[in-house]
Amino acid sequence: MLILTRKVGEAIVVDEHTTVRLLEIKGGQIKLGVEAPNHIAVHREEVLTRILEENRKAATSQPSTDLDSLSRLLDGQSGLPPLPAIDTKSPARQG
Amino acid sequence: MTTTITTSRFGTLDIDEDKIITMTTPFLGFAEERRFILLPHGPGSAFWWLQAVDNPDLAFVVIQPAVVNPQYQPAIPLHCQQELQAAGQSDLEILIILTIPKGQPEAMTANLLGPLILNPIKKLAKQTLLDPTRYDPCWPVMRG
Repeated sequence: MLILTRKVGEAIVVDEHTTVRLLEIKGGQIKLGVEAPNHIAVHREEVLTRILEENRKAATSQPSTDLDSLSRLLDGQSGLPPLPAIDTKSPARQG
Repeated sequence: MTTTITTSRFGTLDIDEDKIITMTTPFLGFAEERRFILLPHGPGSAFWWLQAVDNPDLAFVVIQPAVVNPQYQPAIPLHCQQELQAAGQSDLEILIILTIPKGQPEAMTANLLGPLILNPIKKLAKQTLLDPTRYDPCWPVMRG
């Protein structure tokens, strides 16, 4: 890990176009300002962790028989245009 | 061109290669799986399966947000639109990923914080992250 020491007002630059500046130190917290191009996504680490955990849960849930009963509950609420780019076969019945 | 894939839930499937969706950034936690196919759960069902092409065991259940939460119409971040080669938000479809606990379908939750964004023309997709102060990753669908 690269470790750099910065004072308030100083910054580090990542890959020429992303600047992370130390704006304020107060109590046990520091305030950072990030300037980055539009295509760079910036997130708090714990948000990514939350999504990762939710993805793992979603991937291991999904029992097919439950979906059948849920489908009946939700059918009345649909009436949406079909999703484009989708296979028309319904293989889920085999599972 | 069709190709044959093996899945643990649906057995062997012949799929049209044109329908394969490529993740421009893989799902968090599933770095190896970049190719998926969307399959309807059944005729008239609101549920869809997003099945990994290269991992028989990996599939997510997704749904169009309008079915469960018509108010959910988030702005898609610009970096996501660019990554999916979209000229604007109207080129893109939003799908939400569901977590359905075994035996308790009524406890189903929807991940409103990290929706899947799909460019149906280019067959590109990615999971984007929205504002965590506004969107719940475990939104209770049946109580919503």
